[in-house]
Amino acid sequence: MQIYKDYKDHADFLTVYVREAHPTDEWQMKSNVKEDVCYAQPKTLEQRVAIANDFVKRFNYPTKFGIDDMSNAANDAYAAWPERIYIIDEQGRIAYRGGMGPFNYHPEEARSWLAARYGEVKHEASTAVPDKKNN
Amino acid sequence: MLKWVGAVVVLLILGAVIGLSVMAGGLRGAYGMVRYALPHMHRGTLRVGDNAPDASLLALDGSNRFHIRERSGARPLVIVFGSYT
Repeated sequence: MQIYKDYKDHADFLTVYVREAHPTDEWQMKSNVKEDVCYAQPKTLEQRVAIANDFVKRFNYPTKFGIDDMSNAANDAYAAWPERIYIIDEQGRIAYRGGMGPFNYHPEEARSWLAARYGEVKHEASTAVPDKKNN
Repeated sequence: MLKWVGAVVVLLILGAVIGLSVMAGGLRGAYGMVRYALPHMHRGTLRVGDNAPDASLLALDGSNRFHIRERSGARPLVIVFGSYT
């Protein structure tokens, strides 16, 4: 999670686990099988906790993590499903509202918001492309 | 006249099925999208500048709880919503 690594000294990060998007008993994708990510839609909070822990362990996921209740209160408050990013400012107001995933899920927009405030963090991969004008 | 209305309706339905199939990667995907995804997808009413809603979340240990607003204040808070699959 590059954005976290780049801006964790300036901003806090929280990942919120919401209801599954492609569980085996609903709309499973071929990629889920290929990547061995096969779970039924949790019916209990304990099942959500178990899946969230699998996710964190598999990817050694670094950010603070919270799990939405079975009432989907957080999901409903933020219209979050299936995936979405928000940034809350120091006054507790929405500073950035990302689009609804997957088609309008653009983490680079959140990165741009952070970059505008704290400066761009460049990486070799993005800076190694030679400028044609200098060739 | 009725015949034309029927033809337009059939064409619209066909167009919707084809469009969804392209987006979802096939007929099965289109069914999955309509049956399982669309009912849960909402644009929401939050706007930039609105007060951020609060909600109680369960920690990974399965017992401790915290509120989203507890995590915000001193610095901006980036919230990423999602699931495993």
